[in-house]
Amino acid sequence: MTTGTRPAAGALAGYGVAAVVVGLGTAGVVFSLGLGTGTLSDPAAGTWPLFVSSVLTVLGLALALTARSTNDAERFVPASLKVLVGLGTLLVFALLVGTVGFEIPAVVLAFVWLRFLGRESWRVSIVGGVAMVVAFYLVFVVALRVTIPHLF
Amino acid sequence: MDSFTPVLDGFAVVLQPTNLLYCLVGVLVGMFVGVLPGLGPAATIAILLPLTFDVEPVTAIIMLAGIFYGAQYGGTVTSVLLRLPGEASSVVTVFDGYALARQGKAGTALGIAAIGSFVGGTVSIIALTFLAPVVASFALDFGPPEYAVLAVLGILLVATVSNGGRLKAVVAATVGLLLATVGRDRFSGAERFTFDSLSLADGLDFVPIAMGLFGLGEILYNLESRDGPLRPPAKIANVWPSGQDLRRSTGAIGRGSVIGFVLGILPGGGAVLSSLAAYAFEKRRAKDPSRFGKGAVEGVAAPETANNAAATSSFIPLLTLGIPANATIAVIFGALLIHGVTPGPQLVDEHPELFWGVVNSMYIGNILLLVMSMPLVGVFVKVLRVRTSILAPITVLITLIGVYTVANSTFDILLVCVFGVLGYLMKKFGFEPGPLLLAFVLGSLLESSTRRSLILFDGDVTGFLTRPISGTLVAVLVVVLLLPLVARLRRGGAAPPAVETDDTAPAADRAPVKPRA
Amino acid sequence: MRRTIVTGVRGAATASVVVLALAACGGNLGTAGGAGGDFPDGPVTVVVGQDPGGSTDLIGRAVAELASDELGVALPVENRPGANGAVASQEVADSEPDGQTVLVLNASLIAITSLVSPDDAVSLDDFTIITGISRDDYVLVTHPESGLATLGDIAASGQTLDFATTGVGTGSQLSQQLLFHQMGVQGNDVPFDGGSPALTAVLGKQVDVASIQLGEAYPQIEAGELVPLVVFSPERNEYLPDVPTAVEEGYDVPVAQYRALAVPAGTPDATVEALRSAFEAAFADQGYQDFNEQALLTPHEVSGEQVVEEWTAAKEKYESIVEEYDIDLGAAG
Repeated sequence: MTTGTRPAAGALAGYGVAAVVVGLGTAGVVFSLGLGTGTLSDPAAGTWPLFVSSVLTVLGLALALTARSTNDAERFVPASLKVLVGLGTLLVFALLVGTVGFEIPAVVLAFVWLRFLGRESWRVSIVGGVAMVVAFYLVFVVALRVTIPHLF
Repeated sequence: MDSFTPVLDGFAVVLQPTNLLYCLVGVLVGMFVGVLPGLGPAATIAILLPLTFDVEPVTAIIMLAGIFYGAQYGGTVTSVLLRLPGEASSVVTVFDGYALARQGKAGTALGIAAIGSFVGGTVSIIALTFLAPVVASFALDFGPPEYAVLAVLGILLVATVSNGGRLKAVVAATVGLLLATVGRDRFSGAERFTFDSLSLADGLDFVPIAMGLFGLGEILYNLESRDGPLRPPAKIANVWPSGQDLRRSTGAIGRGSVIGFVLGILPGGGAVLSSLAAYAFEKRRAKDPSRFGKGAVEGVAAPETANNAAATSSFIPLLTLGIPANATIAVIFGALLIHGVTPGPQLVDEHPELFWGVVNSMYIGNILLLVMSMPLVGVFVKVLRVRTSILAPITVLITLIGVYTVANSTFDILLVCVFGVLGYLMKKFGFEPGPLLLAFVLGSLLESSTRRSLILFDGDVTGFLTRPISGTLVAVLVVVLLLPLVARLRRGGAAPPAVETDDTAPAADRAPVKPRA
Repeated sequence: MRRTIVTGVRGAATASVVVLALAACGGNLGTAGGAGGDFPDGPVTVVVGQDPGGSTDLIGRAVAELASDELGVALPVENRPGANGAVASQEVADSEPDGQTVLVLNASLIAITSLVSPDDAVSLDDFTIITGISRDDYVLVTHPESGLATLGDIAASGQTLDFATTGVGTGSQLSQQLLFHQMGVQGNDVPFDGGSPALTAVLGKQVDVASIQLGEAYPQIEAGELVPLVVFSPERNEYLPDVPTAVEEGYDVPVAQYRALAVPAGTPDATVEALRSAFEAAFADQGYQDFNEQALLTPHEVSGEQVVEEWTAAKEKYESIVEEYDIDLGAAG
């Protein structure tokens, strides 16, 4: 990474993270109580999750206490939108692979990543995208007979 | 030397040209397979089974065993180069292996891994030959209580392998433990956090979580930084480990061999625990533990040696008791059934050439790997010359196709996306994925072993102390917990606290934003 | 940024049209060619609801390999593990009823799993059974130092025995729960994750007894490291002729793992018939019969109707016994 240090997020992010952790822990506690808590000598389905989520809740509170003094989170920047685009191509792949096979979604994904997320030239993106998928097809479908859905 | 004759006969079997050729083919196929995380050796062996119907059982098994260790090395290659650990036992390798690769020292990491694997395998096979009957009962003496204490020890070690803030590492590990409870409870059948989804009934699989947190999370994170000038490909500093690297790793390889051999005997969890324990041990011994996680060669040497030593000693339960130690060996012995040989405790007596042929083929496979990796390391490190913008979509496709093959399910593709986002967010907010993943792996071992123990003890918790092995392990546990505490008291209380006291330790968490060079 | 993405989508759309135009057959996607087409139309996928390497998987592979010669197309095996096979069953039940997707179905999923997890009970109504395959017996074993050699010893022991099962809602658990309740002996139900760990626990004397599938325990029985007490099959097992059945001993515990091949309900009769004759040809193969012997399976190649009858009867029987003795399979301990 040549861009150097990324902007720090500040205490607010720390509180946000702590809130998420506390929320997760509390949800876990509520769920576990519903499963039956048992006892230490005769545990039920909820005993261990209850213990773990209680610890998590306490740890979340500890995070909140330290949020002001820690400074290791990063702020979201405009470039973070690229992450959403990348994620979008993954989801498209996941949703289509079962019905149209992996080849077309894979070409699309590789192309978007090369051209728009990687700033490669059009030629590199098109040739590269297709070449990657052909290579995958030859190695995994033809040679190794992997059971991924494929159109061809 | 009676016990040694069949071993030598086994070598004679393996060294027949046909068998050697099949061994080579198996290793090569395995290396390709290992690149696809999730496909895994067990599934590949099952797929390729029909190809072996026309050859001798020994030859077939040698080829299948070749796939097994070839895949292990292939997994190491992707862990180091792409940050994709395909198996639980190579998670620890990622920490320093990937850091080394980023510094242009992928060759060092891969070279040391190959050498460590070779030495670990060698030590283990010699120990197996002479000690198998003596240590066999060790596996049987390990009941649920022993596994429970071992899992607690493992989870404590998890906290020591991380580098960032201690509190955040403990939070991540606790989330890992919570994730391990997802799925149908194995004692009551109750649904836990499954939201009525059948896909979650068996819980979360290791592969999508590992691929998401490590591989995909890292790629998504790096997308952000490409607004500036493109990151130049890493300089290739060296292809081979230097003399200094080798000297540094000698001790780690030696200790890793022993740890791997001992823990590998335990069916269930042995390989993961051995790589974790070997890494933690090196880190604790090191004069400057802060080097770990930033590209310490010992951090690659120790776990890679240990997991290979463990892979070899995991044959001991099979040799002496007829119990397959892991899924891959189970498939290999399923293959034996199809070839008309019944595996079991009498296999060694009835078909010594077959048994030792397989074990020795693993050894020969190690040599083949070492020989092949010399030219191949040069090829592999060239991967790092590829621009990130091109490498990223390749890695993404490997990940997506790989996780699909775990259970032939698109659900796992969605899951890897979810964990990719989590990995990205964790990195943004200063959490490391390692503790989460390792705690996830050990979590179900801990819970089920503990509950099984309590059923056996009729709820009497003191049972853990009265059994000789678990009692000893509890003592070790207490020492591990108290040592840093005592050390800190003597130094005046400035060091980071141990795990248990972490939730009251605000001061420990002051790691600044990492300046990423 | 938005503009470039739109262009990207358009570019991709053009690309995919080109690709589609070039499309030839050879993919493995469910081709919805419609009914009336010739069967088989391309490879027939054999779906296994368990991991590779287990007995269900090996049986599926052995049968598929041989049936492929008869059908003239490949029969690739696809493992789709999850929820004891319920995931795979649901997937096959929802697939096109054209015979291109075949399921290896375990009786335990129909008759036993529903006792623990009613939610993923699989109904036989969703399937047409092609044929039964074989029976896999459970045997109750102990280690030689336990001092137990017969069921009588268990009854006379007068203490609480720890018994290992291969998991909740398995035949292993059901057989032991039924047996202990009918004998009136106190038992501690200790679930393990599968056959190997349960086997290890008995060998290591961590538990007193375990009910394990014969294929897994047989080598240890042969080697004298485990003592067989009783088999749970309806009649004596041909591989263990000297071991009595639970029924002979006076306990109503007929539990065994049966397997069958199934297609989604609504598959044309002619297609089911074509599959049946292909699998029957596989059953007749000497190599397959040798495999059965190696894996200690008892052939049970009965008609689809008989499978439905037997499995439905077993389900009803288990439900009534479990109710009679007030057994809760979900409460380990």
